[in-house]
Amino acid sequence: MRTQRSIWQFLWPWVIGFTLLQLGPILFSAGLSFCECTGNDWKQIHWVGWKNYEQLLAIDYSYTITPKDPASWTWLGGRPQNPRFFHALFNTLIYTIMSVPLSLTIALLLAQLLHQPLRGISFFRTAYYLPYFIGGVGTILVWQWMFNPETGWINLSLITGYKMIGQAIGWLGFSLPEWQPPRWLYDPLWCKPALALMDSWSCGGAMLIFLAALCLVPRHLYDAARLEGAGRWTTFRQITLPLISPALLFNIITATITATRTFSDAFLLQHWSQQDGLLLIMIYLYEQAFELPNHWGYASAITWILAAMLLLFSIVSLLLSRRWIYYEVRG
Amino acid sequence: MRKLWRYLLLIIVGVLLALPLLAAFSTSLQPLEQVYNPRAPLWPAQPQWDNYQQALIKLPYNRFLLNSLILSLLAVVGTLWSTSLAGYALARLRWRGRSLCLALVLIVLVIPGHVYLIPHFLLFKTLGWMDSYKPLIVPSFLAVEVFYIFLFRQFFRQLPSAYSDLGRIDGASEPQVFWRIIMPLSKPAIVTVLALNFAYHWQDFLHPLIYLQSVELFPLPLGLRMYRTLEGDWVNYLMAASLLSLIPAAIILFITQRYLLHQSTVIRP
Repeated sequence: MRTQRSIWQFLWPWVIGFTLLQLGPILFSAGLSFCECTGNDWKQIHWVGWKNYEQLLAIDYSYTITPKDPASWTWLGGRPQNPRFFHALFNTLIYTIMSVPLSLTIALLLAQLLHQPLRGISFFRTAYYLPYFIGGVGTILVWQWMFNPETGWINLSLITGYKMIGQAIGWLGFSLPEWQPPRWLYDPLWCKPALALMDSWSCGGAMLIFLAALCLVPRHLYDAARLEGAGRWTTFRQITLPLISPALLFNIITATITATRTFSDAFLLQHWSQQDGLLLIMIYLYEQAFELPNHWGYASAITWILAAMLLLFSIVSLLLSRRWIYYEVRG
Repeated sequence: MRKLWRYLLLIIVGVLLALPLLAAFSTSLQPLEQVYNPRAPLWPAQPQWDNYQQALIKLPYNRFLLNSLILSLLAVVGTLWSTSLAGYALARLRWRGRSLCLALVLIVLVIPGHVYLIPHFLLFKTLGWMDSYKPLIVPSFLAVEVFYIFLFRQFFRQLPSAYSDLGRIDGASEPQVFWRIIMPLSKPAIVTVLALNFAYHWQDFLHPLIYLQSVELFPLPLGLRMYRTLEGDWVNYLMAASLLSLIPAAIILFITQRYLLHQSTVIRP
């Protein structure tokens, strides 16, 4: 009885937070996505039904696509009523497909490297984790300077490397053609790989989860594999990968959700020369919601479309994972 | 011999990872006329340590730093306080509706955070909280970061119940048991939440961007964005300010790494 009464002393912050800042806002935002605001005052709203969703998602299939149209239209098979939204969706998809495999591969390689019984390995763990922990605007600005086409270290080393190859080939009597390194953040095509590369620099969170999973793989399995004469790749394919597959699934889902919701990197690194190459869905949401005139209802519909897509993705990958994931049966 | 190669590999990869920071450090020490010269030496002939002094003066850097510290520390205190209380109630107390509340916490954990952006903005605007720290701090005190509730709950469940039972036998009330017995035993969980939550608030750019307008309230992420308008001519100062902004988080990591990185519980939000 005593416990029942004193429970409120522990739970009141969460109860208030949950009702006022979570449950209430979710219901409100869901309702708002079916409304339209007149002017910038959100209180002057009226119900418009599915109009916001229709405006966002409608596609005109009777339209014949010409080669001049953007690539995303071919992909859709028609002309979207709202090209900018679909452009943002398309960009986000491409960016996610680039960034998730890249950052998870790097995370797994780093975790393998850190999974060694060496003295002082904990120092390296902290050091490799650092980029993830200190990330933010400071590191974004540092990377922007790294990607500078003329003076950034990335292009400087690319140019130097190309010259060295050219010299080596020159001795054999061949010559390399003129070559310009990519303009990275100032190029519609290269801005997404640049962002993905920057993203994979701070893969420390995923790395740590892989590392924890690697530590749980029983040593005797590796010993057995060595006795059987298995090579490194076979050992990785047949033992390591199946045993860390739950961690891999977790990382795929979280990395996809994070990449899909990328905001500050793209927001800070936007440049006119990218021709909207970094117009990600969160950027579009920000434009619609927080820049004048504020389309609150319309922007709420965007948040729900994005949330639904993420939820769908998580459910599908969880269902599909049953085929490839390996859960150890604890007896 | 094999060990030596392993260390060498670890060091080479470490240097590769550090390259962006090294590049920024080199630029931050270059004199202005060398910054845009692709043939400039990687390490400046005469390091301009004065650039750091200049970077602090160009914009009110110390003000930004102070704002960031105030914001992050208050938010972290709020999160620690509210989520540990809720986590304790969900882990160690028996009451009706406990499993329902746990389910609600888990559902909220699954909902992506961007859903709250617009309703929170409109709520705080109606309350007249624009251009203040309230929208950035108050939610932390109300346990909105449910991941940490879950983390605390998992931790408290592992503690042997003998400790709290002893306290109860001695006549301590539940809050007394919590503050005097449970919390002092929970250093690993507290330090983990502290570090992760500090890093989150230290880096947060979107929420300050939405809620703050006055420059004197800007935390570092927004302040650094102002430095960026200097990029055209003052990249060395920009790099100096960016590097300086990374130091507090790095210090926190090195202090807390023992708990953060070398424990069996490393699930992250």
